[in-house]
Amino acid sequence: MSKNRVSRRQFLSYSLMGVGGFMISGTLMPMLRFAVDPVLQKSGIGDFTPTPQKVDELTDTPVRVDYTIKDRKDAWYESDVSYTAWVYKDGDAIIALSPVCKHLGCTVNWGSEGHPNEFFCPCHAGRYTKNGANVKGTPPIGPLDEYEVMVKDGLLYLGGTKPNTLV
Amino acid sequence: MNWNPNDMDTYIQQKEYIDTLLVPLLKLETNPENMKSSSSSTEFLMYLSTFIENQFKGRIMLLPPFSHTQSMDLEILTETLQKDISLLSFKHVFYLTTDSNWTSSKLENVIWLPSIPLESMDKQLRQKIIEDQLRQVLPLLTKKWTE
Ligand code: FES
Repeated sequence: MSKNRVSRRQFLSYSLMGVGGFMISGTLMPMLRFAVDPVLQKSGIGDFTPTPQKVDELTDTPVRVDYTIKDRKDAWYESDVSYTAWVYKDGDAIIALSPVCKHLGCTVNWGSEGHPNEFFCPCHAGRYTKNGANVKGTPPIGPLDEYEVMVKDGLLYLGGTKPNTLV
Repeated sequence: MNWNPNDMDTYIQQKEYIDTLLVPLLKLETNPENMKSSSSSTEFLMYLSTFIENQFKGRIMLLPPFSHTQSMDLEILTETLQKDISLLSFKHVFYLTTDSNWTSSKLENVIWLPSIPLESMDKQLRQKIIEDQLRQVLPLLTKKWTE
């Protein structure tokens, strides 16, 4: 008899294992997702993307910098995805803050109407100071994230986000 | 928030903050001669909806597009849709469409925008157009929010 033949008993235990494996992956998957997700948000750690922003044009007032990462799949729409950063100079250091509100993820703006010199979230009136610190008494529960920053040929390159180091 | 299980978990915990539902109304035209324009307005509507969701993730839940073909009766659709959507208990519901027929329906809070053919534009222009469109829609949203 061929060794490869699967006996009834073996088949049963295989299929049970299959079911067990499936159940385990059911409980593991969400944990895995949480662990992997922050990394997946950008196309890989240590990856820098060029932006159109010239570094010598930056001042101590945050400006909006838009850049694109190619071919990301998003919900039911597949396309290149645009990212935004708020970038300013603090002495010689270049600071790039993520616009994603630390309450529920809306996009914050610098210097919007009625809110000069601060970041404002239109969703639930969340506020942040220039270095990204959340203003106490508004909904956000932490400071805005920072982007990894790199300069090459006078242009600003942005990498992944990291927790705010300025606050 | 998007209509997916992850965002839904957040929604369930943060209902009092995510109080607005956005429903894209999509008209699928099945006459062969209208297919191209139909696909173009679909792209525009989905692009804009996705952008709005992205900007207002913490306040707006985006429903997958509610689609109908050209011969379906809007009166009947309106009635059923409104009734079913009301079960979701969102404080604010907005319908976004490029199909002007909805503006004469009984459906409330319809935001109508003419479709713009994005397919002929480069990325930057496309982005600019979509932002301009959002600027048109924004006052309608904030007006309701501050009421
Ligand atoms: S999402 Fe920014 S304040 Fe709520």
